[in-house]
Amino acid sequence: MAVSETVAATPPAATPTPPAPSRRRRGRNAAYWLYLLPGAALFLLVIGAPLVGTLYLSLTKWSGIGDPRWVGLDNYQQLLHDDVFWASFRNTVWMLVAMVVVPTLLGLLLAAVLFDVIGRRFKPRTAAALRAAFYLPQVLPVVVAGIVWGWILRPDGAFNSLLDAVGLGALRHDWLGDPGTALPAVMAVMIWVQIGYPVVVFMAALQRVDPELYEAAEVDGANWLHRFRAITLPQIRPETFVVALTCTIAALKVFGPIFALTRGGPDNATNVPSYFAYYTFFKKLQVGYGSAISMVLTLIIVVVAGIFIWMQARSERRDRGF
Amino acid sequence: MQRFRRLVAAIALAATATTTVAACGGGDNGDNSDAKVLKLWHYESENSAMGIGWNRAIEIFKSEHPGVEVRFERKAFEQIQQNAGMIINSSEGPDIMEYNKGNATAGLLSSQGLLADLSSEADKRGWAGKLSPSLQTTARYSDKGVMGSGKWFGVPNYGEYVTVYYNKDLFQQNGVKVPTTMAEMTAAMDTFVGKGVTPLGMAGAEYPAGQLFYQLALSKGDRQFVDNYQLYKNPVDFKADPLKYGADTFAQWVQKGYVAKNSASLKAEDMGTAFIGGKVPMIVSGSWWYGRFKTEMKANWDTFLFPGNTLQAGSSGNLWVVPENSKAKSLAYDFIDITLRPEIQDLIGNNGGVPVAADASKISDPKDRKLIEDFNTVSKSDGLAFYPDWPVPGYYDVLVSGFQGLINGSKSPDQVLDTIAKPYADGVKEITGK
Repeated sequence: MAVSETVAATPPAATPTPPAPSRRRRGRNAAYWLYLLPGAALFLLVIGAPLVGTLYLSLTKWSGIGDPRWVGLDNYQQLLHDDVFWASFRNTVWMLVAMVVVPTLLGLLLAAVLFDVIGRRFKPRTAAALRAAFYLPQVLPVVVAGIVWGWILRPDGAFNSLLDAVGLGALRHDWLGDPGTALPAVMAVMIWVQIGYPVVVFMAALQRVDPELYEAAEVDGANWLHRFRAITLPQIRPETFVVALTCTIAALKVFGPIFALTRGGPDNATNVPSYFAYYTFFKKLQVGYGSAISMVLTLIIVVVAGIFIWMQARSERRDRGF
Repeated sequence: MQRFRRLVAAIALAATATTTVAACGGGDNGDNSDAKVLKLWHYESENSAMGIGWNRAIEIFKSEHPGVEVRFERKAFEQIQQNAGMIINSSEGPDIMEYNKGNATAGLLSSQGLLADLSSEADKRGWAGKLSPSLQTTARYSDKGVMGSGKWFGVPNYGEYVTVYYNKDLFQQNGVKVPTTMAEMTAAMDTFVGKGVTPLGMAGAEYPAGQLFYQLALSKGDRQFVDNYQLYKNPVDFKADPLKYGADTFAQWVQKGYVAKNSASLKAEDMGTAFIGGKVPMIVSGSWWYGRFKTEMKANWDTFLFPGNTLQAGSSGNLWVVPENSKAKSLAYDFIDITLRPEIQDLIGNNGGVPVAADASKISDPKDRKLIEDFNTVSKSDGLAFYPDWPVPGYYDVLVSGFQGLINGSKSPDQVLDTIAKPYADGVKEITGK
């Protein structure tokens, strides 16, 4: 009863309600929007306008010259029945394996080994040098890398010569010319290209993990694998999301290596949506149809990116316990 | 705010002024003999046969048009290929330009009214008389932009054709005679295979495979077939000869080892360098290699026409076109006329090119002379059959993909013919509406 009285006696003015924003502060907040204007204008110019333009063209039939003819959703209907379009998306699944799954897993393992084993047993400089070596393919222009790999994999190229030199000449093959081996060969090249990126990001992530966690785990008798699963993986989860998201987007829109290595061949064995869109747009002069392919690809990338960001936000909320 | 309004007004004024100036330009038919500037664009390298010939043509033009400035700009092939529509639709384009022949390029622009009709000039200046009917095919386009008939929208002044390049030294070392019939050709290739040498260089990832297939098909074809296939005069049956013969024979040549099974991923450059390096005794490819072999190849070499064929893959070279927006059409026509003169034609021929109207006796190098005589033989007998990828846009990649399958053995000839038949039919329907 006394408590109630005390509460009732509390003057209303003491209740910690947030102060109502004054007109002056609202005005100051509104001023911040001015700083967003250049970015927003640039976004509209560089992303918004071309996107709307592409959407419009995807609803037309146009050869690139003259006036586009409105055809509504015809291009999208045609896409649904286009075998090459579906084949290109099947190949994208393999590109996701080569550019996301394998590099992320392998990158995680390599980063952990470089940081935890090489970094400790040798000088940190050794780990840094190896990290730079893994990252080197990322520095090369992808078309240059594609051309060089094309030389390596050609029938009289370095790879077949290497097979000869080690007594495996019977395995000599036209790696990029056979539909059965062209996609795996391109995938191998893409793994080589991609691997350095997750290694560098994960090694940076590992540097911010509190060493005391590892020391405590070691004292408790945890071996390397235990520590990796219980400490490393959960601690670097945000970076894992970033790597997976950026690599997934890169895999969905991959173009340069396909253009340089195989031009989507042989027999569409390595065709991917972005190359298919380019081919339809510029070679077949079907600008409307090419735009429809681009729009579908854009939509998929936006949805996938949205799912990743939502998963990341959910994971962060769970970590914070609300 | 006041300042913002002034800015908007200034932009609006500038836009209006630009539009007005452009509108004034649009009203001019451009046939202005008083023009003092000729803007000329082409994409030949300076030391190529055409580049040398046209440089001389510019000199002659200047001497014959004192007071006229020639603003020449060398462009990249891809630059023109991908942007020509936008360029010549603007007031910033040239008065005369080298442009790609064919339905998807010059034909497309002509159907949109972007190119000047050169028909009366062709008659008046005698261009029609200098170009054989098969060379005229790429110069004339119908209202729908289909080559072969209709008005003149371009003028070629050089030609190109597919021939057989052979390494004389390798032929001699292996006791092989230069074949003149298909039977002799296969016998020659058998001899090379017997000695462990792959007789024909190939590049499945680019045009050579499609061109070999077409050459083989042409051995069973006639002008009617070419007109049907290239000009859509009648439907084409891909499961019948000559195309069936072409695919079947190509597959046999791979099986017999005339063509390497592991050449599916090679590019034309690989094939060319293999020939230059003496690794293959023969290649079937275009006259565009000629100048390069002449400068780079150490072994003795020569050419012979694909044995037994009366029709050969080949055509005019690219075209001079005059944009409808040109402000100096008369000067542009004068320039075209100069490039067709014997002096320029001989100059092209003496530098390893294939002129369309040259006097072969004026060509000093016997090998150059033979190249031109062979072209003249084909051209005069209406033997130019164009190229297999011409009929529809994007067909080049379709053919490459199909014949890669035949080289690596992943497809039968029947499957390849199915693969290339549908895009052809779809493309023809797109163009003709039938």
